[in-house]
Amino acid sequence: MSQYLLEIKNVSKFFSGLTAIDALNLKVKKGQIYGIIGPNGAGKTTLFNCITGIYTPEEGEILWHGKDIKGTAPHKIAGLGILRTFQTIRLFAEMSVAENIMSGRHIKSKQKWYNGIIPTPAYYKDEKYNWGKVGEYMELFGLSEYATTPAGDLSYGVQRKIEMARALAAEPELLILDEPAAGLNENETKELADIIKKVQAMGVTIMMIEHDMDMIMSLCEYMTVINFGAWICDGVAADVQDNPAVIEAYIGSEDEDE
Amino acid sequence: MNKTTIISLGFLLVMGVFPFFADSAWLAVGTTFLVFSVVAFSQDIILGRAGAFHMGHAAFFGLGAYTTAILNTHFGWPILATWAPAVIIPMVVALITTAPIIHLRGDYLLVTTIGINIIFLQVLENDLFGITGGPNGIFGIDVVKIFGYELFEQIHMYFMAFILLGITLFIMKTLDGSKFGRAMFYINKDDVAAQSMGIDLRYYKLYAFAIGAGLAGAAGSMFAVQYSAVSPEAFDVLQSIMFFTIVLVGGSASLPGVLLGTFVMFVLPEIFREFETARYLVFGLAMILTMILRPRGIWPAKFGNIPAFLKKGKK
Repeated sequence: MSQYLLEIKNVSKFFSGLTAIDALNLKVKKGQIYGIIGPNGAGKTTLFNCITGIYTPEEGEILWHGKDIKGTAPHKIAGLGILRTFQTIRLFAEMSVAENIMSGRHIKSKQKWYNGIIPTPAYYKDEKYNWGKVGEYMELFGLSEYATTPAGDLSYGVQRKIEMARALAAEPELLILDEPAAGLNENETKELADIIKKVQAMGVTIMMIEHDMDMIMSLCEYMTVINFGAWICDGVAADVQDNPAVIEAYIGSEDEDE
Repeated sequence: MNKTTIISLGFLLVMGVFPFFADSAWLAVGTTFLVFSVVAFSQDIILGRAGAFHMGHAAFFGLGAYTTAILNTHFGWPILATWAPAVIIPMVVALITTAPIIHLRGDYLLVTTIGINIIFLQVLENDLFGITGGPNGIFGIDVVKIFGYELFEQIHMYFMAFILLGITLFIMKTLDGSKFGRAMFYINKDDVAAQSMGIDLRYYKLYAFAIGAGLAGAAGSMFAVQYSAVSPEAFDVLQSIMFFTIVLVGGSASLPGVLLGTFVMFVLPEIFREFETARYLVFGLAMILTMILRPRGIWPAKFGNIPAFLKKGKK
């Protein structure tokens, strides 16, 4: 067993000749909040998509508990305990908040293949247990009052919370957050930071991409900076902030938002 | 009890007393309505729930009908014994034919499922194995015999179809309250998000096709017995288009919507029979207007079907 929960080893991803990720290495320890930062278009989301199976990197290894999971289908990645949120919120907009969070219980549900047409006592028990869990997560995120509201009708900040609650409902080991503070106001960002700490306290390891530097510097115990898909530096907040290569990467590229 | 259950029970009650007020011609219309409702619900599992643009459903409906017809007339099986194969064969064929195309999106899947329907019709019309009766179909299908009784009267047919619809409603209710039904909705609403929550798109789409084809097959078997005959034109692409339209016009994944859609598409034409083909003009217009004015159907589906103990605070 590896001492790291997740190891990215020499991972490269190309898109028709363009190098999106260039021989990247990083190691995430259990219980950490790990930040990935870098200018827009640096390949951060591509890296997350490689970890979660949406893309398969051409080179390198993605080790989860020491085992290579490169090329595993996205739904199996979730089964391994790696859940994610999206940069552009992807909720089931017409469905209620409770139903959205219930999707997180999918992999935990023990219903048999025939339970889609034949109810059994175990099926009723399973349903009741999982809806109960949904209730707990709604409570935790302060979403109980919206239980029956269609998720798409709620404000951006609340939707971010639903997306996190949904991922957490699957009881992940690793939660991957892709720009969780994007589009949030100052108060909401503060609230989000508290939630992330709470999630860490629950024993979940967190990897996050974020542009809000205050948030990432105060939350993340360790971080990797990438630019043009390649490693620039890694370290704790103070080291990264003072690193001349990082400053150059940021000042040298003032792109508009993705 | 939630709203869906109340609507289902109310509907079953109305349909349960209907035959005592209807003459035999209307009884036949009622029976066909029940059978087509089952087919429409099975189409709704695939289209309204899993969100797969499937426009070849008449093939699975016909497969059930021909399974009963062939096993009964060529091999002398009693009708009762043909019920299981009339469900299982469409299921298996659905799995085999859709497995290679299940990953296709929207319009692409639509074209391939039309292709499946066309091939099925060609097999029937060309009397491929000498058992389908060619363009004329198969006549003289038996009635159901049970405990020495022959269920040959129209009212028998009606109540058999009624029971079939009851079973279908029960299955739909179970499906909607299970992780399988929910997984279909998640895939339908956002497949990338569904996948990242651990939902195997392929498995649940095939699941929808299997259940849908099985129910359609059961309805087909009932259809064959009701008319004691089957012929290819009842299962052509136009029929598939009708089932597809019923779901969209009535309301995808909406139980009352699909019933309403079936009523509008199959019962109204019977009521306005005297207007002959002019009635189809009204339909065409109705279909167009519904899609423009009520794009989610006449009676759209409502989500938020969650246990009562979670419903608190503002509604």
